[in-house]
Amino acid sequence: MKKLCAVLAILMFIIGALPSLAQDMMDYPSDMTACEIDLTGETINIFHFGDLSGPNAFITQPLVAAVTDAMSYWNSRGGVCGAELQQIYEDTGGNLESTQSVYDRFTNEYADELDLLLLYSSNDGELLREQLAEDEIVSFISAGSIESLYGEDGQTPGWLYAGNPLYINQFGFFCQFVAANPVAFPDPVIGFVTWPGAFGLAGTEQAADDYCAGLGVEVLDEPQIFLPTDSDILTQVQNAIDSGANIIYTNTLATGPALIAGTLVDLGMEDEIQLAGVNWVMDTSVGILGQRVLKPNGLPAVDGMIGSMPYLWWTELSSPAVQFVMQQFNANNRSPAEQNIAYLVAWGVVDSIIETTIRTVNAVGSLDAVTGADIRPIVESMDYEVLGGLYRFHYEEGMRDGVLNRIAVLKYANSTMSGAATGPDDALLIDDGAGGKLFVPIVVPLSDFMEVPQLRG
Amino acid sequence: MTEFINRNRRQLTWLIYALAAIALLLFIGDQLAGKKAARIVQTLISGLLVGGVYGLVALGIVVINKASGVFNFAHGWMMVVGGMIFWSFFTVSEISFAGAALLAAATMLMIMTTVSYRNLLERRNLLITAGGALALTLLMTVGGIEWQWLRALTGAFAGAILTGLAVERFTIRPLIGQPFFTAVLMTLAVAEVLHGVTQIAWGTVELNLPVFVDPQTNSRFKPIRLDGLREALGGLAIIRVELVIAFVLALLAFIGFILFFRYTSVGLAMRATSEDQQLAQSVGLRVRVILAITWAVAAFLASIAGVLQGGAVGLSLNISFVALRVFPAVLLGGLESITGALVGGIIIGIVEQFGTLINSSEQVGTNLAPYVVLMLVLVIRPDGLFGEKRIERI
Repeated sequence: MKKLCAVLAILMFIIGALPSLAQDMMDYPSDMTACEIDLTGETINIFHFGDLSGPNAFITQPLVAAVTDAMSYWNSRGGVCGAELQQIYEDTGGNLESTQSVYDRFTNEYADELDLLLLYSSNDGELLREQLAEDEIVSFISAGSIESLYGEDGQTPGWLYAGNPLYINQFGFFCQFVAANPVAFPDPVIGFVTWPGAFGLAGTEQAADDYCAGLGVEVLDEPQIFLPTDSDILTQVQNAIDSGANIIYTNTLATGPALIAGTLVDLGMEDEIQLAGVNWVMDTSVGILGQRVLKPNGLPAVDGMIGSMPYLWWTELSSPAVQFVMQQFNANNRSPAEQNIAYLVAWGVVDSIIETTIRTVNAVGSLDAVTGADIRPIVESMDYEVLGGLYRFHYEEGMRDGVLNRIAVLKYANSTMSGAATGPDDALLIDDGAGGKLFVPIVVPLSDFMEVPQLRG
Repeated sequence: MTEFINRNRRQLTWLIYALAAIALLLFIGDQLAGKKAARIVQTLISGLLVGGVYGLVALGIVVINKASGVFNFAHGWMMVVGGMIFWSFFTVSEISFAGAALLAAATMLMIMTTVSYRNLLERRNLLITAGGALALTLLMTVGGIEWQWLRALTGAFAGAILTGLAVERFTIRPLIGQPFFTAVLMTLAVAEVLHGVTQIAWGTVELNLPVFVDPQTNSRFKPIRLDGLREALGGLAIIRVELVIAFVLALLAFIGFILFFRYTSVGLAMRATSEDQQLAQSVGLRVRVILAITWAVAAFLASIAGVLQGGAVGLSLNISFVALRVFPAVLLGGLESITGALVGGIIIGIVEQFGTLINSSEQVGTNLAPYVVLMLVLVIRPDGLFGEKRIERI
């Protein structure tokens, strides 16, 4: 563990700690609504639960760290409008029975206080969709499925609000990108190689296939599915290639993209097949885990992988939002392994919860009087730059997911940190603490933020 | 008609099974007919090699079952713990002396007190304990990158023995003489405890375990490409080296255990214990010691499997689920058969891969095919392919 921490500490230092450390502690970057009601002596609870020890734990655990740090930040400065922040959370291990049982307990024990709930996964969102509506509890979620956000018919907005665009919309956005770059992607055929479940299969809808076909991008009918425990996915990857895929798209994270990329290298197809995926494939964990296999040019197998990036990234230090989170990350001596998507975005989620609460309390007159039914119209009327620009919080006209996205590519830094390496000779390599070297992953945007297509049918 | 059916019920049942099997084979044949020979060969290779790893995991479960009659649901988490301990010693260049000494001392104490805590009252045993702990500590803390394998193997060995002995001592031993089902439930509890311990000790971040890395290139071993057969097969087939290593290790483990159970007194005692613990105790067999050895051995096997799986895909809490996928292999081969574990593992591995080749989108390979095969085999041989036939008179 020490070794990993050392490596990631160096990595973190390189990708941005230095500029931020050189500055004084920043002011909070959000342009928040002023408090009209004094909440001194009261407590604002941040309720959340989800998979902290199951298959998605390596993504979700830093979320708790970020919420903890954000609470400390606010409480050490007198709280929110004087009220102390407190988090109440539970680990469900990714088990839906546990999700239900925790939800039941929360709604019983905190019947008067639970008006706003943070969830992590699409599966939990689908399970609780109807119950949240019945109990009138507003829920924020990172990226929900169509069913969780809009119901089985895809047309009934519920009480869940996602920060990221729907995965299906991210996929449609990717098709736009492919169609707009015919030189890079002549005769594009996309095959899904992905995990099972609501998350893994979220982009494999007929509406997305039709949309992409309209852009001249063919999508293979049959997704190739593998499990996070699979050690060999040659069969799935070859199935996709044999069916004509020259682009492989994946709704996986951590080892998932790394395994696909490694398999492509094993098959000698790394230059012929473009690997792409949902926003989670751009995470730090993929950049590190993807170094197990090197391409013939000496760079890691995941080098050149394309993915969605609907928010800013750690390397975009020109943004006050990123600078601020980086400062807080360092100030709290967080483990470098926690410097992932979840930590960054969770600061944004806490910011949006606070802003929502302030606006609702201002409208209602007191914290005790706030109900989910009061929060809902506030959420739907907001147009708010989370943390002053990390992402946009805006749910107008029945929208329940984010509308802005961009495409980025995972690369590895060159030795001068002025761009991407072209090979191991000009790559920035850091000691991995065990006699080897590690490349430093960077994320390079390939497009500006643009609206995603709406494909939920 | 009814009389005909009643009179020939057995034959008719078999006829239905035979027709179903023929239909299944025709369906599979049809699905495979359009595939290139290279894909068939590749699928067979992948299935065989992945099946070897399944066999190794199955072996750990079977060893416990063979000696104690307990189906160990904690095996997956023993894999995770073993893999994590290995990782700690393999990737950390400076091992904490105090931490290593603590692990070594705890392991030696557990070994030396297997029969009785009073053993420590003897000066000779105390000296052995101290000496063993010192030797293990030195091996685990030897410095330098060039010794990482020695450190890791010693650490994983000590950790596995400690885990196995602790599980046996504090959870299984108190249940000797109790119904087997109680012990089975206990293994479920042990699984959750190990889950929690793993989370506290190593967190939940995915860890890279570079055991299959070529030191020359700092990349995973390049696969063996069957370029010479490309023309004949109509495409390329490859063999992944790390899976070959895992397969060979599995084979060696099997050979070792077959010989162990057949030709050593401890192995024979284990088999006797599995038949009836109280009877075995009454004829002078040290059931406690035998069970302790069994659990230590199973934990060691789990560690090997954890390292192999972690090296292939990365170390995370997810690898515990591999044990769940292996359960059909254990049942298929026969709950107490060493050979059955290997054969069952390989069959399930191949069936999974061919199921995936035919239809990956509906997860036929992982969710359906292994269980259909298991069902068919159990109908014909209720004790599994190599299981011992037991007749209970009622």
